[in-house]
Amino acid sequence: MTKMLVVDDEIEICDFLKTFFEERNYKVLTALNGETALKLVNQERPAIVLLDIKMPGCDGIEVLKKIKQAHPLTKVIMVTAIETREKIEEALRFGADNYITKPLSLEYLEKDVRDKLEQMV
Amino acid sequence: MTSFEYQEALKNAARGMVRVKNPTRLLKMIVRFIDREVELDQTSILIFDQPKNRYYFVASKGNHRIPVNLIRLDADNPLIQWFLRKEKSNSINKDFLTYKQILRFLNNWTILDSDASLQRRLEEVKEQMELFKASVCVPGFFKGELLGIFLLGHKLDGSDFSIEELSFFQTLANDASMAIKMSQYHEVLMCRNQELEEKIHEVSQLRKKERETYYQIIFSLAREVHTRDAYTYGHLEEVEKLGVMTAQEMGLDLSGRKRDILVAALHLHDVGKIGVPDSILKKEDKLTEDEWLIMRDHALRGAKILEPLDDFEEVAKIVLLHHENYDGLGYPYGLKGEEIPIEARIIAVVDAFHAMVSNRCYRKGCSFDDAIRELERCAGKQFDPQVVQAFIRAVRKRLQPKYEETRGYEPLLPSFEKETSD
Repeated sequence: MTKMLVVDDEIEICDFLKTFFEERNYKVLTALNGETALKLVNQERPAIVLLDIKMPGCDGIEVLKKIKQAHPLTKVIMVTAIETREKIEEALRFGADNYITKPLSLEYLEKDVRDKLEQMV
Repeated sequence: MTSFEYQEALKNAARGMVRVKNPTRLLKMIVRFIDREVELDQTSILIFDQPKNRYYFVASKGNHRIPVNLIRLDADNPLIQWFLRKEKSNSINKDFLTYKQILRFLNNWTILDSDASLQRRLEEVKEQMELFKASVCVPGFFKGELLGIFLLGHKLDGSDFSIEELSFFQTLANDASMAIKMSQYHEVLMCRNQELEEKIHEVSQLRKKERETYYQIIFSLAREVHTRDAYTYGHLEEVEKLGVMTAQEMGLDLSGRKRDILVAALHLHDVGKIGVPDSILKKEDKLTEDEWLIMRDHALRGAKILEPLDDFEEVAKIVLLHHENYDGLGYPYGLKGEEIPIEARIIAVVDAFHAMVSNRCYRKGCSFDDAIRELERCAGKQFDPQVVQAFIRAVRKRLQPKYEETRGYEPLLPSFEKETSD
């Protein structure tokens, strides 16, 4: 089963995406902040991370940088309400595999996750 | 809930809708209301985002609530398509959709046979309803436009929705759609209104600018005329002060625009002289008949110059009539007494006084006392006697001490003479 990590400071979003992807045969871990996310990435080595940007403490861009430094092969999809050009460019510069803005289409998210994982194989 | 309670609830909701201009707040209220009154594990509302042609969750409550702001449904989403599309089969009702209905349709081959794509679409809708843990979907239409969808979970007591409850939700969804549309209209109107106001502001700024430019031109013309006319006796400001003081002595109402009108007329009364050649304006000898006609024409010319300005209508009239005499023997029309605007009667006196005391290029001005005596002599003939009296009071207050010293009227001009050395 593919391991996925969902990082968002809203517990409802974590729970919803967890249920959604579990029903689609993923093993889903969740983290409510950047610190927990980094810990889980190192311990559990998820294949893919859905990563929010605006979070208290360590923000999504910092987490992205550290994930890509330590585990360059881990896929990271930014999932955020921020849609400024600068933020998108920044995320892509630090190696984000995609940048999806909320509110998102679940069909698109699911397809993108599948696509990114297929690239790894 | 009893039927009576539903009706009451509906009435309250409807009242709320009228009050609320912001649909988001209204929809949150509705969700809270259903969550509280009907007790479901999930109550959510999708709202149409017209500019982006998609639907997003605006509010959600209950244990299985959907995170608002995370998910959107594009227009091609099966659930949206279900309500947008006209069905061939008459047995499919689109006022609402229950999960149980879908299961029934999927087992009914007569219905499925009527439309080849129906089975696939039903499967997809079923999947969407499972995804959002909805047992009922209620669309809200306004004039055929799908503006929102209520997604309702399961009742906490495990019972099914009654027909009464479903029709209640249906009414609520349609009323909410109307409220959404109204608030959109409201927003559009506000937007248009603002644009319009900005345009109006822009235009009025341009007009103002244009007017200001015109004012500047006219006032510099007037100044030019006064210089040419050798009005070396004083600044226009002095004319203004004496005119205003006379009006005050008479107890005239100078509130609002009235003072501005008087001041403008005092400055501009001779602006028409811009069209009179120097050979006439500065002529020392008596004017010929023709020259006199040209000279007299300056009142009319002045009025014509001021006419294009909307708010100079009164000023133009005063300028036109400032050479009318109290006894009716003036020009251009020979008006008499009260027929002549009071401002024009004041200007006539102030102007005559200055003409008498000024050192013109062709003669030295007469004394202050002589000028006053002349005004008194002409009171009731050329001049309004009341204006003359008020003017004399004003001019004594302001100028007499200076006249006594200089006998000639140059006191308010700055001295350009070189200081004499010891």
